[in-house]
Amino acid sequence: MRILIADDSAMMRALIKRVVKLSDVPVEEILEAGNGAEALALLKSHDVHLLLTDINMPVMSGTILLREIAGNDRWRGLNCMIISTDGSTSRREETADLDARWYLEKPFRPEVLKDVLTKVAGSLRS
Amino acid sequence: MFSLKSLEAFDLEAADALLAAIRAVAEENFFAITVPCDAGTFAELAVRQPRWLVARVQFEEGPLAGSVSCTLPEELAHVLLDAFSGWEPSAPAPTYDQVLDLVGEFSNMVCGSWLTRITRHQAFTLSRPVVEPALAPAHADGPRLFVAVRDLPLAVDVRLQSVTQDVRPEGFV
Repeated sequence: MRILIADDSAMMRALIKRVVKLSDVPVEEILEAGNGAEALALLKSHDVHLLLTDINMPVMSGTILLREIAGNDRWRGLNCMIISTDGSTSRREETADLDARWYLEKPFRPEVLKDVLTKVAGSLRS
Repeated sequence: MFSLKSLEAFDLEAADALLAAIRAVAEENFFAITVPCDAGTFAELAVRQPRWLVARVQFEEGPLAGSVSCTLPEELAHVLLDAFSGWEPSAPAPTYDQVLDLVGEFSNMVCGSWLTRITRHQAFTLSRPVVEPALAPAHADGPRLFVAVRDLPLAVDVRLQSVTQDVRPEGFV
Protein backbone atom coordinates (compact mmCIF):
# COMPACT_ATOMS: atom_id res chain seq x y z
CA MET A 1 0.00 0.00 0.00
CA ARG A 2 1.31 3.45 -0.84
CA ILE A 3 0.17 6.23 1.48
CA LEU A 4 0.25 9.99 0.97
CA ILE A 5 0.17 12.29 4.02
CA ALA A 6 -0.76 15.93 3.39
CA ASP A 7 -0.36 18.34 6.32
CA ASP A 8 1.47 21.66 6.59
CA SER A 9 3.01 20.64 9.93
CA ALA A 10 6.12 18.51 9.53
CA MET A 11 5.71 17.34 13.13
CA MET A 12 2.15 16.15 12.49
CA ARG A 13 3.28 14.33 9.34
CA ALA A 14 6.01 12.66 11.41
CA LEU A 15 3.47 11.57 14.03
CA ILE A 16 1.10 10.11 11.44
CA LYS A 17 4.03 8.38 9.75
CA ARG A 18 5.08 6.87 13.07
CA VAL A 19 1.54 5.60 13.74
CA VAL A 20 1.45 4.06 10.27
CA LYS A 21 4.79 2.30 10.80
CA LEU A 22 3.70 1.00 14.22
CA SER A 23 0.42 -0.33 12.82
CA ASP A 24 1.97 -3.51 11.41
CA VAL A 25 0.06 -2.94 8.17
CA PRO A 26 2.24 -3.65 5.13
CA VAL A 27 3.16 -0.30 3.60
CA GLU A 28 5.29 -0.01 0.50
CA GLU A 29 5.94 3.72 0.72
CA ILE A 30 4.85 6.79 2.65
CA LEU A 31 4.82 10.05 0.71
CA GLU A 32 4.56 13.49 2.29
CA ALA A 33 3.15 16.81 1.12
CA GLY A 34 3.05 20.18 2.87
CA ASN A 35 -0.11 21.37 1.13
CA GLY A 36 -2.79 20.32 -1.31
CA ALA A 37 -0.84 21.39 -4.40
CA GLU A 38 2.15 19.25 -3.44
CA ALA A 39 -0.21 16.37 -2.73
CA LEU A 40 -1.83 16.74 -6.14
CA ALA A 41 1.57 16.65 -7.83
CA LEU A 42 2.45 13.46 -5.97
CA LEU A 43 -0.88 11.87 -6.87
CA LYS A 44 -0.11 12.55 -10.55
CA SER A 45 3.29 10.90 -10.35
CA HIS A 46 2.61 7.98 -7.98
CA ASP A 47 0.01 5.25 -7.63
CA VAL A 48 -1.39 6.12 -4.19
CA HIS A 49 -3.85 3.87 -2.37
CA LEU A 50 -4.65 6.01 0.67
CA LEU A 51 -4.60 9.77 1.13
CA LEU A 52 -4.51 11.19 4.67
CA THR A 53 -5.08 14.92 4.45
CA ASP A 54 -5.55 17.93 6.68
CA ILE A 55 -8.10 20.60 5.75
CA ASN A 56 -6.48 23.91 6.69
CA MET A 57 -3.31 24.10 4.60
CA PRO A 58 -1.67 26.96 2.71
CA VAL A 59 -1.49 27.15 -1.11
CA MET A 60 -4.27 24.57 -1.56
CA SER A 61 -6.60 23.42 1.21
CA GLY A 62 -7.64 19.84 1.81
CA THR A 63 -11.16 20.63 0.60
CA ILE A 64 -9.94 21.94 -2.75
CA LEU A 65 -7.62 18.94 -3.04
CA LEU A 66 -10.63 16.64 -2.56
CA ARG A 67 -12.52 18.57 -5.23
CA GLU A 68 -9.65 18.05 -7.67
CA ILE A 69 -9.60 14.33 -6.88
CA ALA A 70 -13.37 13.94 -7.15
CA GLY A 71 -13.34 15.70 -10.52
CA ASN A 72 -10.83 13.33 -12.09
CA ASP A 73 -11.74 9.76 -13.06
CA ARG A 74 -8.09 8.81 -12.72
CA TRP A 75 -8.51 8.84 -8.93
CA ARG A 76 -11.89 7.16 -8.78
CA GLY A 77 -11.81 4.82 -5.82
CA LEU A 78 -8.86 6.54 -4.08
CA ASN A 79 -9.29 6.04 -0.34
CA CYS A 80 -9.35 9.46 1.34
CA MET A 81 -9.25 10.20 5.03
CA ILE A 82 -9.44 13.62 6.63
CA ILE A 83 -7.29 14.32 9.70
CA SER A 84 -8.26 17.77 10.93
CA THR A 85 -8.88 19.92 14.00
CA ASP A 86 -12.19 20.96 12.40
CA GLY A 87 -14.69 18.44 13.72
CA SER A 88 -17.79 20.43 12.77
CA THR A 89 -20.72 18.58 11.21
CA SER A 90 -20.76 20.91 8.22
CA ARG A 91 -17.11 20.17 7.42
CA ARG A 92 -17.70 16.45 7.83
CA GLU A 93 -20.68 16.63 5.48
CA GLU A 94 -18.73 18.71 2.98
CA THR A 95 -15.86 16.22 2.81
CA ALA A 96 -18.20 13.23 2.73
CA ASP A 97 -19.87 14.78 -0.31
CA LEU A 98 -16.40 14.87 -1.87
CA ASP A 99 -15.99 11.12 -1.27
CA ALA A 100 -13.77 11.23 1.80
CA ARG A 101 -14.65 7.95 3.53
CA TRP A 102 -13.14 8.62 6.95
CA TYR A 103 -12.85 11.65 9.17
CA LEU A 104 -10.44 11.75 12.09
CA GLU A 105 -10.62 14.73 14.40
CA LYS A 106 -7.39 15.99 16.01
CA PRO A 107 -6.34 15.17 18.67
CA PHE A 108 -6.83 11.59 17.54
CA ARG A 109 -6.25 8.21 19.06
CA PRO A 110 -3.63 6.24 17.09
CA GLU A 111 -5.70 3.05 17.25
CA VAL A 112 -8.48 4.72 15.23
CA LEU A 113 -6.03 5.45 12.42
CA LYS A 114 -4.69 1.92 12.69
CA ASP A 115 -8.21 0.51 12.22
CA VAL A 116 -8.61 2.47 8.98
CA LEU A 117 -5.22 1.31 7.73
CA THR A 118 -6.17 -2.29 8.42
CA LYS A 119 -9.46 -1.90 6.56
CA VAL A 120 -7.82 -0.30 3.53
CA ALA A 121 -5.07 -2.94 3.45
CA GLY A 122 -7.73 -5.65 3.64
CA SER A 123 -9.75 -4.13 0.80
CA LEU A 124 -6.66 -3.95 -1.41
CA ARG A 125 -5.92 -7.63 -0.85
CA SER A 126 -9.46 -8.74 -1.77
CA MET B 1 -23.99 27.33 20.85
CA PHE B 2 -21.46 30.15 20.94
CA SER B 3 -22.83 33.42 22.30
CA LEU B 4 -21.97 36.63 20.47
CA LYS B 5 -22.37 38.38 23.82
CA SER B 6 -18.99 36.96 24.66
CA LEU B 7 -17.36 39.49 22.38
CA GLU B 8 -17.38 41.69 25.44
CA ALA B 9 -17.31 39.06 28.15
CA PHE B 10 -15.78 35.65 27.56
CA ASP B 11 -18.59 33.51 28.88
CA LEU B 12 -18.31 30.51 31.15
CA GLU B 13 -19.35 28.07 28.45
CA ALA B 14 -16.58 29.22 26.13
CA ALA B 15 -14.02 29.15 28.96
CA ASP B 16 -15.02 25.62 29.97
CA ALA B 17 -14.79 24.52 26.35
CA LEU B 18 -11.34 26.07 26.05
CA LEU B 19 -10.08 24.25 29.14
CA ALA B 20 -11.56 20.98 27.87
CA ALA B 21 -9.84 21.53 24.50
CA ILE B 22 -6.45 22.19 26.10
CA ARG B 23 -6.74 19.08 28.27
CA ALA B 24 -7.87 16.88 25.38
CA VAL B 25 -4.99 18.01 23.17
CA ALA B 26 -2.34 17.87 25.91
CA GLU B 27 -3.44 14.53 27.32
CA GLU B 28 -4.38 12.60 24.16
CA ASN B 29 -1.57 13.51 21.81
CA PHE B 30 1.06 14.84 24.19
CA PHE B 31 0.47 12.52 27.18
CA ALA B 32 0.74 15.49 29.51
CA ILE B 33 -1.43 15.88 32.60
CA THR B 34 -3.01 19.33 32.52
CA VAL B 35 -4.73 21.18 35.35
CA PRO B 36 -6.14 24.69 35.54
CA CYS B 37 -4.40 27.14 37.82
CA ASP B 38 -4.81 30.71 38.95
CA ALA B 39 -2.72 33.72 37.99
CA GLY B 40 -0.66 33.50 41.18
CA THR B 41 0.33 29.88 40.62
CA PHE B 42 1.10 30.64 37.00
CA ALA B 43 3.35 33.50 38.07
CA GLU B 44 5.20 31.23 40.51
CA LEU B 45 5.78 28.64 37.79
CA ALA B 46 6.69 31.29 35.25
CA VAL B 47 9.32 33.09 37.28
CA ARG B 48 11.74 30.20 36.84
CA GLN B 49 11.49 30.22 33.06
CA PRO B 50 13.98 32.37 31.11
CA ARG B 51 12.73 31.83 27.56
CA TRP B 52 9.24 31.67 26.14
CA LEU B 53 7.42 31.04 22.90
CA VAL B 54 4.13 32.52 21.75
CA ALA B 55 2.07 30.79 19.06
CA ARG B 56 -0.89 32.59 17.51
CA VAL B 57 -3.56 31.01 15.32
CA GLN B 58 -6.16 33.18 13.64
CA PHE B 59 -9.60 31.79 12.88
CA GLU B 60 -12.75 32.61 11.02
CA GLU B 61 -15.97 30.83 11.94
CA GLY B 62 -19.08 32.15 10.25
CA PRO B 63 -19.51 35.78 11.30
CA LEU B 64 -16.79 35.59 13.92
CA ALA B 65 -13.05 36.06 13.60
CA GLY B 66 -10.32 36.13 16.17
CA SER B 67 -7.23 34.40 17.41
CA VAL B 68 -6.03 31.95 20.01
CA SER B 69 -2.51 32.37 21.39
CA CYS B 70 -0.56 29.91 23.49
CA THR B 71 2.29 31.28 25.60
CA LEU B 72 4.63 28.69 27.09
CA PRO B 73 8.23 28.36 28.21
CA GLU B 74 10.73 26.64 25.92
CA GLU B 75 11.12 23.94 28.56
CA LEU B 76 7.47 22.96 28.11
CA ALA B 77 7.86 23.10 24.33
CA HIS B 78 10.64 20.52 24.56
CA VAL B 79 8.61 18.33 26.92
CA LEU B 80 5.68 18.40 24.49
CA LEU B 81 7.92 17.69 21.52
CA ASP B 82 9.51 14.67 23.21
CA ALA B 83 6.08 13.24 24.03
CA PHE B 84 4.50 13.98 20.65
CA SER B 85 7.31 12.63 18.52
CA GLY B 86 8.60 9.84 20.75
CA TRP B 87 12.01 11.42 20.69
CA GLU B 88 14.69 8.96 21.71
CA PRO B 89 17.57 10.19 23.92
CA SER B 90 19.99 8.69 21.42
CA ALA B 91 18.50 10.69 18.54
CA PRO B 92 19.94 14.07 17.51
CA ALA B 93 18.52 17.03 19.42
CA PRO B 94 15.54 18.63 17.67
CA THR B 95 16.15 21.76 15.68
CA TYR B 96 14.69 25.08 16.74
CA ASP B 97 12.42 24.98 13.68
CA GLN B 98 11.05 21.64 14.81
CA VAL B 99 10.30 23.09 18.25
CA LEU B 100 8.48 26.03 16.66
CA ASP B 101 6.54 23.69 14.37
CA LEU B 102 5.48 21.60 17.33
CA VAL B 103 4.31 24.60 19.35
CA GLY B 104 2.41 25.86 16.33
CA GLU B 105 0.72 22.50 15.86
CA PHE B 106 -0.19 22.34 19.56
CA SER B 107 -1.81 25.75 19.33
CA ASN B 108 -3.51 24.80 16.07
CA MET B 109 -5.09 21.78 17.76
CA VAL B 110 -6.15 23.76 20.84
CA CYS B 111 -7.82 26.41 18.68
CA GLY B 112 -9.54 23.89 16.42
CA SER B 113 -10.66 21.66 19.25
CA TRP B 114 -12.11 24.68 21.08
CA LEU B 115 -13.98 25.98 18.04
CA THR B 116 -15.41 22.52 17.35
CA ARG B 117 -16.63 22.28 20.95
CA ILE B 118 -18.38 25.64 21.09
CA THR B 119 -20.30 25.16 17.88
CA ARG B 120 -20.46 21.63 16.52
CA HIS B 121 -22.04 22.61 13.20
CA GLN B 122 -20.15 25.60 11.83
CA ALA B 123 -17.01 24.94 9.82
CA PHE B 124 -14.05 27.24 10.33
CA THR B 125 -10.74 28.18 8.75
CA LEU B 126 -7.46 28.53 10.60
CA SER B 127 -4.40 30.47 9.59
CA ARG B 128 -0.97 28.89 9.66
CA PRO B 129 0.32 29.36 13.23
CA VAL B 130 2.86 32.12 13.79
CA VAL B 131 5.35 31.23 16.51
CA GLU B 132 7.75 33.78 18.00
CA PRO B 133 10.17 33.87 20.91
CA ALA B 134 9.44 36.05 23.93
CA LEU B 135 11.28 36.93 27.11
CA ALA B 136 8.18 36.62 29.27
CA PRO B 137 4.42 36.27 28.96
CA ALA B 138 2.93 39.51 27.67
CA HIS B 139 0.07 41.30 29.37
CA ALA B 140 -3.25 39.87 28.17
CA ASP B 141 -5.61 42.15 26.24
CA GLY B 142 -8.55 39.79 26.52
CA PRO B 143 -9.65 36.56 28.20
CA ARG B 144 -6.76 34.41 29.40
CA LEU B 145 -6.74 30.89 30.77
CA PHE B 146 -3.89 29.63 32.96
CA VAL B 147 -3.02 25.95 33.13
CA ALA B 148 -0.14 23.82 34.35
CA VAL B 149 0.97 21.18 31.89
CA ARG B 150 3.23 18.64 33.61
CA ASP B 151 3.70 21.32 36.27
CA LEU B 152 4.91 23.84 33.69
CA PRO B 153 3.01 27.06 32.91
CA LEU B 154 0.85 27.63 29.86
CA ALA B 155 -1.34 30.67 29.17
CA VAL B 156 -3.97 30.64 26.46
CA ASP B 157 -5.40 33.92 25.22
CA VAL B 158 -8.50 34.47 23.13
CA ARG B 159 -9.14 37.59 21.09
CA LEU B 160 -12.50 37.96 19.40
CA GLN B 161 -13.83 40.30 16.77
CA SER B 162 -16.83 40.27 14.46
CA VAL B 163 -16.18 39.91 10.76
CA THR B 164 -19.18 42.00 9.75
CA GLN B 165 -20.33 44.94 11.85
CA ASP B 166 -24.01 44.24 11.19
CA VAL B 167 -23.92 40.73 12.64
CA ARG B 168 -25.28 41.25 16.12
CA PRO B 169 -27.79 39.31 18.18
CA GLU B 170 -30.89 40.98 19.53
CA GLY B 171 -30.11 43.15 22.50
CA PHE B 172 -26.39 43.23 21.85
CA VAL B 173 -25.03 46.75 22.10
